[in-house]
Amino acid sequence: MTKVKVMPSNTESQCYFIQLQIDGYLDGDLSEAQCGVFMSHVQDCSGCASEFRYAQTIQDAVLELPQMSCADSVLEPIHRLSAAEMQPAVGVRSEPLSSQIWELLNSVPAYFRYGFPAAAVAVVAMVIGTNITSPVGSVEPLVASESVEQYSPEDISQALDELNVAIDYLNRLSQRTEVMIGDRFLVSPIQDSINASFQKAGIRENNPLDNGPI
Amino acid sequence: MRALYQQAIDQHRHRIFSFAHYSLRIKEDAEDVTQEVFIKLWQHWQKIDHEKLGGWLMRVAHNSVIDHVRKQRPQQANVDHYADVEEQVAQESEEGSLDEDGFKSQLQAAIKSLEDPFRSIVIMRDIQGMSYEEIQVCLELSASQVKVYLHRGRRKLRENTQLRQLFENQLSEKSEVKQAGPSGQ
Repeated sequence: MTKVKVMPSNTESQCYFIQLQIDGYLDGDLSEAQCGVFMSHVQDCSGCASEFRYAQTIQDAVLELPQMSCADSVLEPIHRLSAAEMQPAVGVRSEPLSSQIWELLNSVPAYFRYGFPAAAVAVVAMVIGTNITSPVGSVEPLVASESVEQYSPEDISQALDELNVAIDYLNRLSQRTEVMIGDRFLVSPIQDSINASFQKAGIRENNPLDNGPI
Repeated sequence: MRALYQQAIDQHRHRIFSFAHYSLRIKEDAEDVTQEVFIKLWQHWQKIDHEKLGGWLMRVAHNSVIDHVRKQRPQQANVDHYADVEEQVAQESEEGSLDEDGFKSQLQAAIKSLEDPFRSIVIMRDIQGMSYEEIQVCLELSASQVKVYLHRGRRKLRENTQLRQLFENQLSEKSEVKQAGPSGQ
């Protein structure tokens, strides 16, 4: 729908209105009647006439600016590339493996992106926790009694420190995922598992479990 | 395929280069943009709708120009490639003997100084003579947006103080010549 613009009555508004139409006039977008109003105002108003002359000068100068030529030498590297029988499949990027993995991770939802590695780390941590706490004389089939002598208290202490770091990392991960995987699904089972193992091993009195984030 | 690719290059290279040159005003950067555009064309050859190739190329050129403008900005404090021209223009303006080349040079500087999309639309429409429909496709704008931005871009160009100063100097120079004419005879 075409808007019908009515010429304002006071001179200042008329000038403003006319100057808004300069580009329309130069582009030939005004109707015959609008052109008539425009030209009659420009002929009577020196300010608008000057503005119109200036706009026309700029417009003519812009239209006269030449099209630049692109030298053949600019495209020589392109010709060399295409001549090297590069297939259009070049579009398939040969990015490094790390960025491809990163891209893949970015394409999955955030809860999976952080939750899956967190769960994987938790499983590994639980396995380690179970193995290092092999109790003496335990009847548990999963705990090998002969492996008790292989770990000194220092080894266990160091393993617990590492476990604490892992759990701390998991805590931070769980905060980032904003889901309740921390206390409910990761930390408590690990804590329970480790405590149970140490109870069975009978070395709970002098172990450093109390100092960690567990 | 190579023949078609070559044909596309021959058909569009001047327009791409010209657009980049007026946008950036540094020949080497314009050449870089042109190369980037045609490398991308080679890479995406099979995915492109070849009926809209011109629009696609201009859109890639436009994006590439924007990247170059971003890169240029921090450097401009130290290296102003137009300083020489503008200094010369200013000197000539003071002397009242500005020639047409000086005015055009200042005009190009003024175009380059426009923000996007005003700059791109003024170049595409007024210098390269592209239709509104073509510009719409390139810049993904509506027809009315293109028109409004074009008029606003031209108005901003006219608001350039140096350009206006040059124009007024030229006018007064001409009127002085007119006044001096009859008495000199």
